[in-house]
Amino acid sequence: MNFVIVLVALLGSVWLLAVVEGWTTTGRLRPAAPLLSGLAHLGRESIVPRTPDRVFFETAPVLLLIVAVLGAAVLPLAPTLVIADLATGALFINAALAYVLVALIMAGWGPNGAYAMIGGWRFLGQLIAYAMLIVMPITAVAMRAESLVTTVIVGSQGGLWNIVYQPLGFVLFFIAAMALAFRAPFDLPTAPGELGGGVDAEYTGVRLGVLRLARLTLVITLASATTVFYLGGWHGPLLPPWAWSLIKTLAVAVSMLLAGRYLPRIREADLMRWCWTLGIPLALLNIIVVGLLVLVVP
Amino acid sequence: MISDPTMTITGARQRQGGFTVLQKWVSRALAGNLSCLIVPGPEVALSHGLDVTAAGMRITATPRDASVLLIIGELSEKMSEAVAVLYAQMPRPRAIVILGGQPPSTLPDADFSAGVSQAGLIDAVDWLKRALAKGAFSDSPEDFDAAVLHARIDYVCPMHPEVVQNEPGSCPKCGMDLVAREAGEPAPEHDHDHGHDHREHRHHEHEHQHHDHAQQHEHHEQERHHGHCHEHHDSHEHDHEQHEGHQHSHENHHDHGHKHQHDESDGDAEEKGSGHDHGGHDHGASGFMSMIEVTKDLPRSADGLAMDWMEVPFGPVFPGLPGGLKLTLTLDGDGVTEGQATSLVGMINESEKGKEIDAETFIERLASAMPLASVSYRLLACLAIERAAGLENDSATDQARAVALECERIASHLGWLAQTGRQLGFAWLTDRAATLQLEIRRASGKRLLELTPALQALAARLGRTPLLKSRLKGIGILPSGTGGLSGPVARAADDAGDAWARLWQRLDEIITSLDYIKATGEPGLPVLRNIGRGSGTGEATVETPRGEAQLSLILEHGQVKSYRLDTACSHHIGLVAKLVEGRELGDALVAVGSLDLSPWEVIS
Repeated sequence: MNFVIVLVALLGSVWLLAVVEGWTTTGRLRPAAPLLSGLAHLGRESIVPRTPDRVFFETAPVLLLIVAVLGAAVLPLAPTLVIADLATGALFINAALAYVLVALIMAGWGPNGAYAMIGGWRFLGQLIAYAMLIVMPITAVAMRAESLVTTVIVGSQGGLWNIVYQPLGFVLFFIAAMALAFRAPFDLPTAPGELGGGVDAEYTGVRLGVLRLARLTLVITLASATTVFYLGGWHGPLLPPWAWSLIKTLAVAVSMLLAGRYLPRIREADLMRWCWTLGIPLALLNIIVVGLLVLVVP
Repeated sequence: MISDPTMTITGARQRQGGFTVLQKWVSRALAGNLSCLIVPGPEVALSHGLDVTAAGMRITATPRDASVLLIIGELSEKMSEAVAVLYAQMPRPRAIVILGGQPPSTLPDADFSAGVSQAGLIDAVDWLKRALAKGAFSDSPEDFDAAVLHARIDYVCPMHPEVVQNEPGSCPKCGMDLVAREAGEPAPEHDHDHGHDHREHRHHEHEHQHHDHAQQHEHHEQERHHGHCHEHHDSHEHDHEQHEGHQHSHENHHDHGHKHQHDESDGDAEEKGSGHDHGGHDHGASGFMSMIEVTKDLPRSADGLAMDWMEVPFGPVFPGLPGGLKLTLTLDGDGVTEGQATSLVGMINESEKGKEIDAETFIERLASAMPLASVSYRLLACLAIERAAGLENDSATDQARAVALECERIASHLGWLAQTGRQLGFAWLTDRAATLQLEIRRASGKRLLELTPALQALAARLGRTPLLKSRLKGIGILPSGTGGLSGPVARAADDAGDAWARLWQRLDEIITSLDYIKATGEPGLPVLRNIGRGSGTGEATVETPRGEAQLSLILEHGQVKSYRLDTACSHHIGLVAKLVEGRELGDALVAVGSLDLSPWEVIS
């Protein structure tokens, strides 16, 4: 039952996010547009490029979608509303999201096209940049909660949300999550202006539809993770817990979306340099500060 | 204007078999969902004052995502070939709309054609929506095919290159299976020192045809992107002649579909005569591919890593570059080892011998040949002809013309900003600059001045945008002592001479032009004054938005007998090779973009 509810919530959020995306790009609020353009993919030809690596080409969009849903499986909407309340939830989400890289490299390699291939490999570089900044802030979150169970992590923020308790960790995680979701300004693997779509470039029809759905789902999953780790999950007055989870998730997802609209794409070298020379020391500092707080504050 | 009463969309059928009922039903139901690829590019649509989004179509970056091919203006022969490749990549149902031009010979007939105007565009969208909603799919469209898409496949024995057949089989001499290759023109000389490296990419492509030659009819759909494959076929023969005898590379790759590096290093070894043990490479037996072995003979990149090099075309229809400009980059990973730019739409300099052109026609022709700066070139032609005819300057006319030129400068720089936004994935900039450009085009002098605060706000906003400076600063620095520069590129060279300086130079020029308009008055589109049947030679220079353009011509009895045109872009395009060398792909593209090359203004 939880599975169905979470899945519906996930799809609903994806839909709302797509509506907002359309609103910011066209200036018109058209609730049906995402559904229609999604469906329109079914009416179009789905071309297989010449001499593809067929397995990679076919698997990549589906794998990306599965990865995003798997990540969402350990994130609670309400105290009991979670698909799998794993003892290692915070670790599991890392493990699941590591496959985003695999999916993108497959999508890059599969179609046998130069743009896609460069896009896929670019994401490997991007992973090296963001990976530590996903893991290290989560470490600090787990330190405060003294647990890797996501529901316990939300419970630990009952008094004070982590965004206040460890703001540095939040900023780092938020940026790294955007890089993981390869949203602008971190859209190096797709980069329309540099690679003509990159890993997306050779997909058409249904496959493209799945790929786009997967990308939006990934954003929602990461926004939901941000909510669970930093924004107190379901905590909030008046409204039922699941409503708070959804509202916060959508707010985070929309802010990820908007940030990209007002920023130029980051340089690959800058991303790498800033993440390692600035991001990782700051993440270590965050861990030390949180460690001291945990020890000192009763 | 309805071009076809039966409303049949020509390129509508599915590749294999017809439409499924579901697909047809969905296509009909969602007819309003149109996305288009603009040829030559969105910047040309903008400079013609066309608002594609307002007309109801989404602009896409790739042909894979487009259902409508929107062609604006006449296409050159080379562009027609590139467009055929783009069309082949579009998923069906797909339609062709042509505004203000003839259908290129490489494409099927246009589904809708009209003049270059917003009204024509809106009609086209209406027609397409109605046609699709009615299910106007052609029952039996011919498979799209064009000469440019063909690569003949023939079969050659790896041991005996003289054995060539046009069907698969085994070699009559040694009994080995013949391998497929793309047949093409005789090999060109690989005179540059790493000539062999370029082949890697091609190798990769054609070798896969072992698995795949049964699907040759599909072949044309696969031309990778934006019109390049046909240029690559030429060197395969060359490959095989040189590297006969390492057949294991062909045997193995049934299991190792993608391990093309292996082949390449073998080839190198043989060419250089370093004599390393080929047996050691046979990972078909050992099942292990050593990266050190595989890459040890590859050339080193700037960062010291050995990588496969591949030649990748960007353009002539590419979201990050002006349409009509083709950038060919040799990439190692995503570093650029070398690159060059060519224009596929540039004007030919000399007029046809002994063919006189009427002065008015000449002006129209020059203006329409330069869609990104038509006012400037109209003015240039008017001035040159008037001087040839011996007319005195008229200060009132000159002033109105100068204002028109400044208006175009503002519009052109905004167009460049929109293009830069597309390249950098900076959606807000693209939207804002494009909106302002369209408003400037439609504005009279007074209204123009009302836009001043908006333009100043745009500049201020860019100054505050995070990441923008780090993206542009230090990119595309001109080598010291570069000559032949003019326009914003030259003026920014005194400063830092990088992409950031060029951005600010153009933003400053927008404000300066506004001040000039404020001080002077209403713009007046350059119109040729009465020259009678004057004769003589005339020369004129105009500071176009991209730099100085010079025209000299001989006028005889009101007819232009011959002319010579020199433009800034013709010189600036030569800078590309130096600017991209050794840079990362993203930086190289920014550097090229910052030059604001108009391929139309590259004179050959």
